[in-house]
Amino acid sequence: MMREGTVTPVGTHDYIRVEGLRVSYDRENTAIEDLDMVVGKGEFVAVLGPSGCGKSTLLHVMAGLLRPEAGRVDIGGRPVGGPADGEAPRIGYVFQDHRLLPWRTVGQNLRTVLRSAGVPAEQIEERIDRYLGMLHIERFRNTWPMRLSGGQRQRVSIARALAIHPAVVLMDEPFSTLDEVTARLMRQQLAQLWEESSQTIVFVTHSIREALFLADRIYILTRGPARVFDVVTVMLDRPRGYEDLRLTELEGQIVDRVMEVWGYGAVDAAPDREG
Amino acid sequence: MERRRSRRLDLALGGLGLASLLLLYWVGSRTTTFVPPIGEVVSQIPAFLTEEEIWVDVVATVRRVFGALAIAMGVGFLAAYVMSRGGLWGRVIDRYVSIMLGIPSTIAALLALFIFKRSEVGVYFVVAIITFPFVALTLLQGLRAADRRLDEMSEVYRLSTVAHARHVAGPHLVPYTFAALRNEYAHAWKVVVLAELFAVNTGMGARFARAFDRFLLVDAMLWLLLFMLILLGTEYLLLLPAERRILRWRVSAREAAAGEGAA
Repeated sequence: MMREGTVTPVGTHDYIRVEGLRVSYDRENTAIEDLDMVVGKGEFVAVLGPSGCGKSTLLHVMAGLLRPEAGRVDIGGRPVGGPADGEAPRIGYVFQDHRLLPWRTVGQNLRTVLRSAGVPAEQIEERIDRYLGMLHIERFRNTWPMRLSGGQRQRVSIARALAIHPAVVLMDEPFSTLDEVTARLMRQQLAQLWEESSQTIVFVTHSIREALFLADRIYILTRGPARVFDVVTVMLDRPRGYEDLRLTELEGQIVDRVMEVWGYGAVDAAPDREG
Repeated sequence: MERRRSRRLDLALGGLGLASLLLLYWVGSRTTTFVPPIGEVVSQIPAFLTEEEIWVDVVATVRRVFGALAIAMGVGFLAAYVMSRGGLWGRVIDRYVSIMLGIPSTIAALLALFIFKRSEVGVYFVVAIITFPFVALTLLQGLRAADRRLDEMSEVYRLSTVAHARHVAGPHLVPYTFAALRNEYAHAWKVVVLAELFAVNTGMGARFARAFDRFLLVDAMLWLLLFMLILLGTEYLLLLPAERRILRWRVSAREAAAGEGAA
């Protein structure tokens, strides 16, 4: 079930191509060092790493919010950060915090990005209805975001990302601030949505189980500066169960592998393993 | 239940405050010669309000307040924007604003009299010059508190500059604009009366001064009451409801907790 080694782009595994990426916040603090990655069209890829290792920085570069010091990111054969013309790849981004406009209702939040994405006016309302319906939040269409719960806001954020029909959806630990029950429900819904839409998704997380539950492949990063430590292919049928024992087994294997490289060491790990 | 009780207590305390003020007024009118008896003032109100010419002066003052405030808001926004950008011009404007903050209204009114003589422009100048630094500082706070995370979101979703101004930057500044407007609205009313004393022969300030010069104390008191009525009335019946309506997206801590509970 696990495949080690360097990334070898084959077949459709080159829709997103990250090559030789290096990002520094200043000359001394390197967040990402020589990182390569490929993601196929319609693939669900998780990026797994310890907190603060540079995962979010990677998504920022992929979204064009940050310029790399070296290397490049191409999406659908077009460089990210190039001219924002009609051909530039459209990105849907689900941030860790919802980042909805608090002074616009749920419907208005979606309408704003749909207009900016150039969606024809006659399709906008239908699109809002469809995606709010898919996320089971259609009744909140005229509600202010601040009156919603954390889970509902994150659903709106996901609906916003999907509604523009992006080339890729980037998700930055979107469920990490939710309570466990809500987070599990959201993961299940996301997995279902992905199966229905075949949307290309890059999902950043520090939760091994979450990555295993959701993704086709997992890029495991080292502690900062982030490099690819391992690439894992999750060959489990869908739909998956969050409590599936095979996930538990795989989780254990990954924990064993990353223990050293994430800097926790064998001594710290011993009591857990014995327990 | 608790809310209703707290509201009743508020009303009772407010009534008590007003009653104590009336008592002080009554004591003042009994013990001094310059405070007219309350009954005399009240009895003159209907005749005063039905005089046509007073409304000419009221309208003149209202026009000056609104006009000068609009200028102060515009100049204040520009100053805040330049200051928020920093650099040479940001520092220059910052110094201007600091200096203007220290100018007393009376000195500004006298300066306007020297520069513009007894002209309408002088009143606008005084009110705008006194109020704009406060507007600039409040809006600068707003510009500095801009949510960079929402800017990132708008960049990812490629909001145009106009869309960003309309949906992100503009609404973010609205609470600060209202704060500046409400504070400076009351300030502008006070300054405009002062400017009218020095610079022009029309307006509520000029009429107040004329009444005082002629020792028409009841008239002076009636002008004062009218001034307070217009100032507080427009603030509580116009500005405050408008602010509440426009900022209705904000939720109280109680409502936010209820939202979380509904998760």
